[in-house]
Amino acid sequence: MTNPEERVAASFRDPAGFLFRHEGQLYRQVNRAGEADFHLLMDSGLYAALTKAGLLIPHREVEIPPAVPELAALIIQPETVEFISYPYEWSFSQLQDAALVTLAIQRRALDRGLSLKDASAYNIQFHCGRPRLIDTLSFERYNEGQPWTAYRQFCQHFLAPLALMAKRDIRLNQLLRIYIDGVPLDLASKLLPGSTRFNLALLTHIHAHAGVQKRYADRGGEVKASTTGAAFTRNALFGLIDSLEAAVKALRWKPAGTEWADYYDANNYTRAAFDAKSELVSAFLAQAAPHTVWDLGSNTGVFSRLAAARGAQTIAFDIDPAAVDQNYRQGRSAKETLLLPLVMDLTNPSPALGWNHQERLSLAGRGPANLVMALALVHHLAIANNVPLPQLAEFFAGLSEWLIIEFVPKGDSQVDRLLSSRADIFPDYTPEGFEKAFASCFTITAKEDIPDSHRILYLLKRR
Amino acid sequence: MTFFAPLAHGAAYLDPGSGSLLLQMLIALFLGAGFTISVYWKKIKRFFKKGAGETADTIEIPEDTAETDEKNNDQP
Repeated sequence: MTNPEERVAASFRDPAGFLFRHEGQLYRQVNRAGEADFHLLMDSGLYAALTKAGLLIPHREVEIPPAVPELAALIIQPETVEFISYPYEWSFSQLQDAALVTLAIQRRALDRGLSLKDASAYNIQFHCGRPRLIDTLSFERYNEGQPWTAYRQFCQHFLAPLALMAKRDIRLNQLLRIYIDGVPLDLASKLLPGSTRFNLALLTHIHAHAGVQKRYADRGGEVKASTTGAAFTRNALFGLIDSLEAAVKALRWKPAGTEWADYYDANNYTRAAFDAKSELVSAFLAQAAPHTVWDLGSNTGVFSRLAAARGAQTIAFDIDPAAVDQNYRQGRSAKETLLLPLVMDLTNPSPALGWNHQERLSLAGRGPANLVMALALVHHLAIANNVPLPQLAEFFAGLSEWLIIEFVPKGDSQVDRLLSSRADIFPDYTPEGFEKAFASCFTITAKEDIPDSHRILYLLKRR
Repeated sequence: MTFFAPLAHGAAYLDPGSGSLLLQMLIALFLGAGFTISVYWKKIKRFFKKGAGETADTIEIPEDTAETDEKNNDQP
């Protein structure tokens, strides 16, 4: 029997089943409480339709001992998702696509006599380049007359943050990091500009929704009495999905004016330096031959794609939501499968969150990667954020075995810009100081000057 | 029949929120009518084939081709 410790800590809310690990592999126990709905999913043709359309993670039934035998009906093994990401790490288009996938799934489910019983953004993961539902047990039998149980959750997890990002400020997706079950609608209603009240969809699904919630928060009995005899027809449910879909699609965000959006045109590389750097990065990647790569400070993913092109599962992190959005859109139109762009502030990376600090993993908790790339990044951490170089070395050593790191010295225009408005309190910020600080954690496998620049590219291996 | 009766059925673990349920009931007629109109509107648009050039800047989701077959089997 599997130890209870092997249950996945985030998987506890739904009595229909839960995730657990057995001999290093991830499985889902379907409880007897979820058995009927699971069989309906499989027998109705919905599972086949959703997996064929790339909307649901496929699974296979397996014969292994259940984690909790007294509850168990059967065990399934879902296809492995390489990297679990969270909505507060997604760019606008990623959250928008995840919302549309959720609605497309609900529409297909209703067509086959089922309904999504939850609409959590955390149930969507980017796998092989596309957002897909990972929770096989999210379906229940649809009963005519029944409204959508997950309507509120959809508004909190998707519509409210998307509206806030599009209509108020792109950085408001970070509210998802504070509120584990999505942005409270009364808060969204307060933060959205007054003009959104003239948008029928936002007026209904956010402002009026928040108002009705507040008014009837503790009056469930009255709601029941006043709606007795009423029924929510199937057409009304389809109308609700259409309305939410139109609202999500109508939200646009353009990354104009963000600090890095045109970084590759504005940096201080010459074409020759850029080409030389690309060649060096490729050569270092070939030497380390990583399966998983985290590109920290990836911008729009130019160098991340060198890793993905070698077949490495590559996560491209950047602080700028515009760069990440551009990166995601590029990968989406090219149908790339190995690259996942994510928004991440490395000076304050995603922490462990949720119940018992275990529902959502920290960034480091989702590692290590085989190789980390830190190109044109070190000055942002060491100078703009004052991180001492030895601590920087420890940080990288905790994330991966291999490190491709670019040292950007003083005299480089990017570093001079950071130092132009402050005192230079970084006497050790030199190539020698860098090598000395990193020597405690890493050995230098290769070191090359980047031609036509003052920068140095290192391939380091953890000691 | 109340709409709470079906909700009590099965293992609905999520609290739908009484306000959220009420709002859905309040806009149900409007949503149902909107859906019916949109079905006909799509048919008209398809008839005149004026949908070209309408490219949403979002994920491409394949058509649900199995829809009709499955739907007929699964009506409760």
